[in-house]
Amino acid sequence: MLAIQLAITGLQTGALYALTAVGFSLIFGSTRIFHFAHGAAFVIAAYFFYAAFGAGWGVIPAIAASAFGAVAFGLLLDRLVYVPIQRHEGSFFTVFVASFGVGIAVQNVIGMIFGRGYVTVNTTLSRSVEVIPEVYVSPLAWIAIACAAIFLGALGFFLKRTHTGMALRALADNPELVRTFGLNPRTIQAAAFAIGSVIVVPAAIITSATTGLSPAIGHHVMLISLAATIVGGIGSIPGTMLAGVMLGLAESLALLIVDTQWTEAVTFAILFAFIIIRPSGLLGRATAH
Amino acid sequence: MLKSLKITAAVALTALTLPAWAEDHTIGALFPLSGPNAVYGDVFMAGSDLAVEHINADGMLSGPMSIAYEDSQGLPQPAVVGMTKLVNVTGVPYTLSAFTGVSKAISTIGQRSQVVAVNGGGVGPDLAALGEYFWNVIPLVNLEVRAVVPYLTGEMGLKKMVLVYIDDPFGQAIESELETAFEGSDAELAEVLSVPVTAQQFSGVAAKVRSAKPDVVFVASYGAQQIQIVKQLRDNGVDAQIVSYSGYITPDALALPESDGMIVTGQAVDYASEDPVTKRFVTDFKARFDKDPTAYNVNYYNATLLYGLLAAALEKDGTEVTGENLLAKRLEMKTFDLVGGTVSFQDNGTLLSPIEVKQIKGGATETLDTVEIGG
Repeated sequence: MLAIQLAITGLQTGALYALTAVGFSLIFGSTRIFHFAHGAAFVIAAYFFYAAFGAGWGVIPAIAASAFGAVAFGLLLDRLVYVPIQRHEGSFFTVFVASFGVGIAVQNVIGMIFGRGYVTVNTTLSRSVEVIPEVYVSPLAWIAIACAAIFLGALGFFLKRTHTGMALRALADNPELVRTFGLNPRTIQAAAFAIGSVIVVPAAIITSATTGLSPAIGHHVMLISLAATIVGGIGSIPGTMLAGVMLGLAESLALLIVDTQWTEAVTFAILFAFIIIRPSGLLGRATAH
Repeated sequence: MLKSLKITAAVALTALTLPAWAEDHTIGALFPLSGPNAVYGDVFMAGSDLAVEHINADGMLSGPMSIAYEDSQGLPQPAVVGMTKLVNVTGVPYTLSAFTGVSKAISTIGQRSQVVAVNGGGVGPDLAALGEYFWNVIPLVNLEVRAVVPYLTGEMGLKKMVLVYIDDPFGQAIESELETAFEGSDAELAEVLSVPVTAQQFSGVAAKVRSAKPDVVFVASYGAQQIQIVKQLRDNGVDAQIVSYSGYITPDALALPESDGMIVTGQAVDYASEDPVTKRFVTDFKARFDKDPTAYNVNYYNATLLYGLLAAALEKDGTEVTGENLLAKRLEMKTFDLVGGTVSFQDNGTLLSPIEVKQIKGGATETLDTVEIGG
């Protein structure tokens, strides 16, 4: 029974990891911007929901506030930080440092506004019920899994079937060619930030009710996003989804074999294994240099 | 000629005397001001800042006193950087410390540089053995474990415990204390589960706890993580009694609905005492923060006031305020009037205090029992 319990728990965790990591992967894959502040987008989405829900706005308006916060942050960061840097010299390292700095600034601003302690959204949906003997599942676990399936499915459809989606994939392959087709890479880049930011919203909201929040949670989000992106294959959205679920499952099922203190190490052991054995990741394309 | 000589001598004497007479007093503090443990920094500073306010208002020292805060993040590495700065750049003779790992990391610098470090927040038992320049104004967690285990197994009849602890020096110390406490008793420590310092997901841990079918779960962590553990244990179907230590008594943790019914321990402080130091502290704290003080507020008030008392005594003797002289003065004075009454240090530099076993109810704690602990 413990194995079944851990598998379900792992699926829930993996669904949240996938939703979190796919946004980062989409932005990094299409724009090559190492968006370290993706963790900050997660924090903003979560705290906007926490504040709006706590103020009695109701679930739907609070979700809308959360989505607005995340998208506005992504777009403003792109327009006010990344684009000016890219216009001048645009080195990878400069962009990374700027993004890192924004992440820390957001953490401190959130701390100033909401306090630096732990907050959580209280809901009965986070309470597990016994579905079969000795196996407990909370309604939020099913919601997390359903959200991952819907959002990631919709993202796949969007990337394959819409003009903007195809433009995003084209931007990843060849920005110059995108320009020759009369498309503006800056506009497509802004779309990547908007979509990449909004897709963390379900994970951020569910986390606010299950794990709880602190302003510093963004760093952990970023670590998981990075690990899933590399394991999945840089630039591969399906690969990142798969890697997110796989990491969540591995972290949970590892408890059957190793002590609880090693669960996080399992994530990074998988990461190192992929870097050494299969650097292109699960579904990434191998490149020759 | 004689007149000008007198004037020159007077000016020279004034020049020599004035800097010492109007000396600013700066002490250091290594508190978590950012990261997941930042909530503690706010709590600690509430106590230490109030003490500085009182010391300056009373003109206790020859010059104004202030605290140079450094952000330890509750982690040893940034704390060592901060302590090095406080000792070598700011030049403080006395610093406030918090957290077991932080305190252990900075204690060697304090010992080597003869700078006093006073802990009011870390509770690892090892903190009693960090040298003569490291003092504790808080009873350490071994005393809390000694108080709570007999209460749980005796009064409450809870015989099977699972421990969930943070994998750092503090958590390891709790594990060791609990194993000792259960030796030779009819109760058992059925399972111990350690979690990494950075972990935030505990649903898998909760599944393992549930499968062990304990009567009681001891949660030994701190900051946001300990609250996450308690919430996720409850969310994932663990309905056994949960118990923790004094570090759990923070505003965030008390406000968590899942904390209701938990057993916690902490030092006993008589806030209703009529002694002038306690009365002033309680009155001014409530006026300033509009809430009741906690033991952490008291500890850092006391740690800061202790500096004021020692430095004032040194100045009265005409002795320079250095770490070495502060230590000598503490050994000489022996007893101090602090919040909670007149206290004295044990030989290992740690204050003794009775331990209260409390229960969290409706966002506050209710005392169930007070246990006197021998030295």
